[in-house]
Amino acid sequence: MLVDEQTIEKVLTAALEKGGQFADFYAERRQTNSLSLEDGKVEKSSSGLDAGASIRVIQGKSISFVSTDALDERSLIEAARLAGESVRGGGATVIPLTAASGSSVHQVKIPPAAVATAGKARLLMEADAAARAEGADVVQASVGFSDETSQIVIANSGGTLAAEERTRVRLIARVVAARDGMMQTGYDSIGAHRGMELFSSGDPAGLGKIAAVKAITMLDSRPSPSGKMTVVMHRGFGGVLFHEASGHGLEADAVEKGASVFAGRMGEKVASEKVTLIDDGSIPNEWGSNAFDDEGVPTGRTVLIEKGILKGLMYDRLRALNAGVVSTGNGRRQSFRHPPIPRMTNTLILAGTETPEEIIRSTEKGFYAKTLSGGQVEPATGDFVFGVSEGYLIENGEVAYPLRGATLIGNGLTALNNVDMIADDFEMNIGVCGKDGQGVPVGSGQPTLRILNMTVGGTEV
Amino acid sequence: MLDIAKKAMAAAAATGVDQAEAFAMQTRSMRIKVYRQEVEELVSSTGSGVGVRVFKGGAVGYAYTSDLAGDGLEAAARAAEATMAVTAPDEFAGLPQPAKEFPELDLYSGKLRETPVSDKVAFAAMLEQTALERDNRVSQVEAATYAEGEGIVAIANSLGFERQFRESTCYAYLQAIAEQDGHMQTGISFTTGRELEQLAGVVTGQEAADRAVSLLGARQCPTMSCPVVMDPFVTASVIGVIGAALTGEAVQKQRSMFAGKEGAPVAGPGVNLIDDGLHPEGLATAPFDGEGVPTQRTELVKDGILQGFLYDAYSGRKEGKASTGNGSRGSYRSQPHVAATNLRLLPGTASQAEILGEVEEGFFVMDVAGIHSGVNIISGDFSVGATGRLIRNGELAEPVREVTIAGNLLKMLESVKTVGNDNRWVPFGGSIHAPSLLLAEMTVSGK
Repeated sequence: MLVDEQTIEKVLTAALEKGGQFADFYAERRQTNSLSLEDGKVEKSSSGLDAGASIRVIQGKSISFVSTDALDERSLIEAARLAGESVRGGGATVIPLTAASGSSVHQVKIPPAAVATAGKARLLMEADAAARAEGADVVQASVGFSDETSQIVIANSGGTLAAEERTRVRLIARVVAARDGMMQTGYDSIGAHRGMELFSSGDPAGLGKIAAVKAITMLDSRPSPSGKMTVVMHRGFGGVLFHEASGHGLEADAVEKGASVFAGRMGEKVASEKVTLIDDGSIPNEWGSNAFDDEGVPTGRTVLIEKGILKGLMYDRLRALNAGVVSTGNGRRQSFRHPPIPRMTNTLILAGTETPEEIIRSTEKGFYAKTLSGGQVEPATGDFVFGVSEGYLIENGEVAYPLRGATLIGNGLTALNNVDMIADDFEMNIGVCGKDGQGVPVGSGQPTLRILNMTVGGTEV
Repeated sequence: MLDIAKKAMAAAAATGVDQAEAFAMQTRSMRIKVYRQEVEELVSSTGSGVGVRVFKGGAVGYAYTSDLAGDGLEAAARAAEATMAVTAPDEFAGLPQPAKEFPELDLYSGKLRETPVSDKVAFAAMLEQTALERDNRVSQVEAATYAEGEGIVAIANSLGFERQFRESTCYAYLQAIAEQDGHMQTGISFTTGRELEQLAGVVTGQEAADRAVSLLGARQCPTMSCPVVMDPFVTASVIGVIGAALTGEAVQKQRSMFAGKEGAPVAGPGVNLIDDGLHPEGLATAPFDGEGVPTQRTELVKDGILQGFLYDAYSGRKEGKASTGNGSRGSYRSQPHVAATNLRLLPGTASQAEILGEVEEGFFVMDVAGIHSGVNIISGDFSVGATGRLIRNGELAEPVREVTIAGNLLKMLESVKTVGNDNRWVPFGGSIHAPSLLLAEMTVSGK
């Protein structure tokens, strides 16, 4: 283990010397490799090592947190004393640590370290070649690979001791296509909490091809119209809309302060009865999965909205303590330098019974959002905005032609209530979510679904 | 830190490469969040690390480590050398020639560390209290935050560059929430400096409250094409995106809407945009950039005419030009890349009230959302969510939300009619000094 048990007990004891209800410890050693290709050449190759630890003392609703990049006993105890320095009251003591049982379900068959850099570079070349094979319209492809392997040790004064090794690999492709003065980009990514086996033969090429086809398709796009429209969200990518539009408002820190549209609405109908929204950090090998959250709580499945009724929130230990409930295993942090806060893991809208074809066919006029380029939400109001990098006009129940420059804008509660059809074609997508200056890997998933009466902002009035 | 940089550089040079460079950084930071007059969060952090960059036969390698003890530096040097195995040789790759003169800048205040933590807590608490007392519709302040950081940056390279500098910065930020008839609106404000005394207290708290309250009752407005006034926060967001397209790297990689437009008009005649790495109030100010090149002031747009682009050593060499001191790096974990330092859209002469007075019917934008997902920096096409107020007969009228503004950044720049004199520093998405702007016409999409 990164830091031994006896040392951790001493550190936690030092943190609680002057008081405090609870203290926890988090140590991490993270090795990363990244490669990037552009113009058909590997331009950058980098490897890194980051290691350190942090100590947190909780007293009442207040936390004191100190991080250091030293892992020796003396530095850790010094950091612990600094964290506990101004804490008064509480008076918790450290319960002897017991290692959490169970092995990770996130199996890694081929650790990134077992593959030479040249092998990783080959993935980039394959994706690049596949993208360029899509034709002369493809003028640029950038492909990035990264792997990350972290050893993590988490312990707290309540006696929890959890250790986990986390491995993530990811490949992303961004392709630029150009014709007659028009330029468009296409993007795709694959990633998982697993090893290099993710890239079984064909996958990098498939990625490059998908990104290239998206870019080429958008060359035929017309400027998007503006106004209220029926919006069909394509499976997979659309999940990020619900991540932003409803997920952030269901994180317990926003609700605790009343800074969420869901505050005080537990048990009430907050969405169309078609909508069941869950967060699940335990899905084997999924990008947003871990065995434990970053506070040593086993990850699990939390039902947030069931058939339209608000059922649950995502808690970390601090907010669970404040609310008198049990943490749902959603306490996450970017690294040892950041305090844990409630975060999503993999957030999913469960599949319905319709088919995507039926949804399109029954839409007389609408906007088909196939790929979103990202977005943001203000949890207090629920207002969100999303860029659409690949969109289409639906006319008379058929996909007519691609549209560019569109933004989807709306309100989380309104959008949830306006979902009127959900298909059976569930798919996951990966991303990195930012909150309070911390980025963590998250998955979001969704079947194709339809939202009525959404504002599409385009360039055509 | 300079000793560590020298040691890492020597270890890298010893692996048999043509050129070696080490970038070492040591930082201390603290953040205090106050909620309902109690400390909600006190976060302190210390850290240090080294990034090692090596060149051989035109190939580049990079590795970083936070392990500065034992053989940590040697391990990083070896790792950097090993990563070169796959990078393609490039005739333009290599270190910049060390300069002889560097700007003298005063970036560090020892007072920051000496000021007791209790004073900093009190400052954040005062921000919260000021916002709450400003208007009884302000129901709470979600995050009254004070943050500070200080650090030492040291670079050593095998061409003989050996220098370090020290800096300190602090800022405070708050988000006020106003409520009326069950509806909420938020408003932010912030203040920056190098020591606590330089931060603006009361006005910052009041501004967050005023911004939130002024949006209460906001509704969607009808879709229209109309003149648009952007407040300095919004101008700063747009300038940040434009700055990213004004790098030599973006142009060389055909990722810039400004490619091939040097010497041509790209903006209204009142637009003057500079990258100012030397401005005393800019938080990105430094004596040298992430590869040891002295920082400078670079004119980007003068009287609406595009003057040139920003370069690091590599992208400059590719163009036969010198680096403009824009080889940026956020930490020892990243290799240098071209980025702006402090972007300044130089002030015009009109006050914000005078600008609003020019508009019969229009939209005053106070916040935009989705600027990074909603802008195509190649074509300049953009569409972002917006919040603000209608303008009627030169005066601010009812508040508006859930609309988008869309258009093309190039056309938008060309349509700048009036540049305000109300510049302020905005520390989000870069360090940007921006005024209010009047744009002749944009599409506002609502109901």
